[in-house]
Amino acid sequence: MKVFLWRAAVLVAAILIWEAAAAPLNPILYIRPSSLPGAFVRMWRVPELPPLSEHLWLTLREILVAFGLAIAAGLWLGFLLGLRRSIGRIYEPLLAALYAIPSVVWYPSLMLFFGLGPASKIAFGFLLGFFPIVLAVLAGIRQVPAPLVTVAVSMGARPAAVFRKVMLPAMASTMVGGLRAGLALSVVGVLVGEVLGARSGLGYVINYAYGLLMTAEYGVLVVLVAGAVLAIDGAGALLEARVRRWAG
Amino acid sequence: MNGASDPQIVLQDVSKRYDTASGVVLAVERVSVAVRSQEFVTLLGPSGCGKSTVLGMIGGLIQPDAGRILIEGEPVVGPNPRQIALVFQDAGLFPWRSALDNVGFGLELQGVAAARRREIALGLLEPMGLRGFERKYPRELSGGMRQRVAIARALALDTPILLMDEPFGALDEQTRLLMGEWLVGVRRRTRKTIVFVTHSLQEAIALSDRIVVMTARPGRVKEIVDVTLPYPRDLNAPEVVDLRAKLWDQVKEESLKAMEGGA
Repeated sequence: MKVFLWRAAVLVAAILIWEAAAAPLNPILYIRPSSLPGAFVRMWRVPELPPLSEHLWLTLREILVAFGLAIAAGLWLGFLLGLRRSIGRIYEPLLAALYAIPSVVWYPSLMLFFGLGPASKIAFGFLLGFFPIVLAVLAGIRQVPAPLVTVAVSMGARPAAVFRKVMLPAMASTMVGGLRAGLALSVVGVLVGEVLGARSGLGYVINYAYGLLMTAEYGVLVVLVAGAVLAIDGAGALLEARVRRWAG
Repeated sequence: MNGASDPQIVLQDVSKRYDTASGVVLAVERVSVAVRSQEFVTLLGPSGCGKSTVLGMIGGLIQPDAGRILIEGEPVVGPNPRQIALVFQDAGLFPWRSALDNVGFGLELQGVAAARRREIALGLLEPMGLRGFERKYPRELSGGMRQRVAIARALALDTPILLMDEPFGALDEQTRLLMGEWLVGVRRRTRKTIVFVTHSLQEAIALSDRIVVMTARPGRVKEIVDVTLPYPRDLNAPEVVDLRAKLWDQVKEESLKAMEGGA
């Protein structure tokens, strides 16, 4: 609790210092924290745009779809490569090579292929979120202690029971770590996609505000994104801690 | 049907090879041993002599390349948890399961109901001095406690045969002696056939009815020594000291070979 109070105090102090420092400067370049609430009200209903809530909702849906696809494909490919070693030996180096390429270079081709709508954002969020999940599954499978599998087999466990009662629990904390990283990157992918080229969504509105030098409004959006990401990651951290406690 | 005097476990000319990066290694060569029901037989030999491989083959975890293994007259085709339970050197407890749920693991695989599993597990843990520890996780237990939980997990299957692969190898000397005494008591109560693997002369003498001395790689049967002394065995009694000296001569030769062989 004490730590929490200290953190709050530091945050308030930082905002106050910021306010004092920005006050005498050009508001187009320097955002004053006190200008944010007014900007939020203006931003909520920009006459030329659909309401902000619609952009938020669209971005959220894009993130959910991108992350959902990343989970499905990541788990599928991870288990395929990790459990079928003959396939894994062929494709794992390819996967590592692909992962080494900065993902942003793919985005223009994704826009060409999927267009300016949500599909290209989902594809990019998927691409970014997918790798940490596959890699976590592969690492998790390697971490399953062979003696535990031997114990289970000696007690008559069939492959399905070994998978469910030994492999999955032994992999759980590594996998949850990978899912958390994947979610964070799916969020980044969708937002970057929207900033780079879109007609709607939170990233698009950020780009719009920035383009019109609506600096305070832009600041509001950044705070919104930061809050949303912190909330998502906080939920992820809680889940991870629970799984770690359970999986020892 | 078997007569009462037929051995329960029979190994006939059992051999096992391993393919390694540096070529084929003969781990076990033409091992023949017969173990009677309720007998305590120890496989004694230097590291890498194939003792664990022999145990794994009896347990159905490893397929022999030649020879045959019979349990109650039937060939071993795979793990049979109704007949054989194994205990390994590293306790091998599941870290995400409490002591109680670790002990119940094998029963869970057999579809035994949770209430019954709990009853059986508690019945095993309490006489082991683990009352009050059933909700603890392996990381919260000492090495000796973890090994007792692992043994309880094997005993929970209530099999006639127990195979133990250096179960006390990771424990300190004092704990090891106490666990040995405790195992003698377990054996008296449960009347199981036990095949035990160790490289400790002391342990072999304290526990066994018969000691099978194995050679350095490839593992063969060098000699089989009967130990007829009553339990509990005083490790300083003159007969025990003599026996230890005799066994040491046998084992020393093989240990030297193993060292020269780079094992």
